[in-house]
Amino acid sequence: MIRRLYAYKDLLLVFIWREFLIRYKQTAIGVLWAILQPVSLMLLFTFIFGVVLQITQKDYPYTLFYFAGVLPWTFFAGSANFAVTSLSGNFNLVTKIYFPREIIPLSGVAINLIDYLIGLVFYFLLLLVYRIPLTWNILWLIPLLIMLVMYTTSISLLLSALNVYYRDVKLVTAFLIQFLFFATPVIYSIDAVDNRWKYLLFLNPLTFIVENMRRVSIEGREVVLWQMGIELVGIVALYLIIYRIFIRIERAFADVI
Amino acid sequence: MSFEPVITFEHVWKKYSKQQVLNNSLREELISVVTGRKCHDDLAEGEFWALKNISFNARKGERIGLYGPNGSGKSTILKLLANVTYPTKGTVHVRGRVAPLIELGAGMHPDLTGTENIYMNGTILGMGIRALKYNIDKIIDFSGLRDFIDVPVKKYSSGMYLRLAFSIAVHSQAEIFLFDEVLAVGDDEFQQKCHSIIDSRFKEQIIFIISHDKNILQQFCNKIIHIEHGVIK
Repeated sequence: MIRRLYAYKDLLLVFIWREFLIRYKQTAIGVLWAILQPVSLMLLFTFIFGVVLQITQKDYPYTLFYFAGVLPWTFFAGSANFAVTSLSGNFNLVTKIYFPREIIPLSGVAINLIDYLIGLVFYFLLLLVYRIPLTWNILWLIPLLIMLVMYTTSISLLLSALNVYYRDVKLVTAFLIQFLFFATPVIYSIDAVDNRWKYLLFLNPLTFIVENMRRVSIEGREVVLWQMGIELVGIVALYLIIYRIFIRIERAFADVI
Repeated sequence: MSFEPVITFEHVWKKYSKQQVLNNSLREELISVVTGRKCHDDLAEGEFWALKNISFNARKGERIGLYGPNGSGKSTILKLLANVTYPTKGTVHVRGRVAPLIELGAGMHPDLTGTENIYMNGTILGMGIRALKYNIDKIIDFSGLRDFIDVPVKKYSSGMYLRLAFSIAVHSQAEIFLFDEVLAVGDDEFQQKCHSIIDSRFKEQIIFIISHDKNILQQFCNKIIHIEHGVIK
């Protein structure tokens, strides 16, 4: 993939830059949206679950607990949402000129990653505010982030390609993302889940990623290596399969789009 | 120029389907991941040949006009040249960088300004960001849109759009240019400008122009391919 994209790196950069410009053009507060979106979700969850329903999530501060879950989630959901219509929406480009098609969904992953990183700065500020003792285990965030990006990329490529063939995909995705939201421990902790369901939930790589992102930063504990190994193998295998399929069907996009 | 652009089409056939939902195509593609691509000579229901046994070649400096009625297969040939699709049968060989003149709205985003769209469209045509920075004044001057270059292109007229797109295309380092029905849009002055730049700058390149207007083709081209119902006449 990297070899394929290298020749087109300028195009990818311009696509990212374009999406960034389009996104914040004619908005009043511009890039602040990158922070405001996850923060407003965090406040909403804190209010509903913390204040109204009075559910305790472990003994973490509410805001920190929800923000740690919302951040990776908005990255995933934002990228997937962008990807679905990215190829079919650019059909007049796809039918006119050749470039590696993955550039379009990838640019969506990239701008959401930028937002994510901005949000991460805010997250570290929150950690400092709550005087969470930072340990070296927080460096586990880096491999976890790489796994998240890889998984998100796979799903984005898959959705964008399928939507070229069947526009149903766009409609299904809306539901699928809602479903995944509940199948990912964003608004709850996996520890509160009955053992029967736990293993099922871990089939969703996001469960492992989100849960461990909290664990390594808020609790300062390390990840369980064998668990991470299994998840990593799964994510890499998924990526390789999807990317291979993508390259295979890419040449037919212009005919069916 | 690094090498001479050469194009050969050998017995090219291209099949299309009229159906909206292609139930089989994704399944076939997925199966072909395992088995390799197969080609079916026979037409299934709802399929038709867009191109039948097309053979021609093009050498540097040639300006080829593709002439024919709507739906005769002209645009399919351009798609094969641009490598966005592949032939069902036969071989297409294209050596050289291809720059299609992207139609109104495709390579440009309406909310972005002229300058921003130059970068957008230029990189789509394979130019580097650095090359674009270096050439940006030339591109703006040729388009004659300096006064409007910081205006979002959604406020442009179709003629202005075309000027910008054409100007970006001719400044790219491509060796093969594909112009689809576009030269008819510009006014006389701009057509004159296109004519002179094609005469002076494009001695080595191959240019394809599509039109159903024979006058324009005779004015610009030194070879005309007449195509009807997917067959060269």
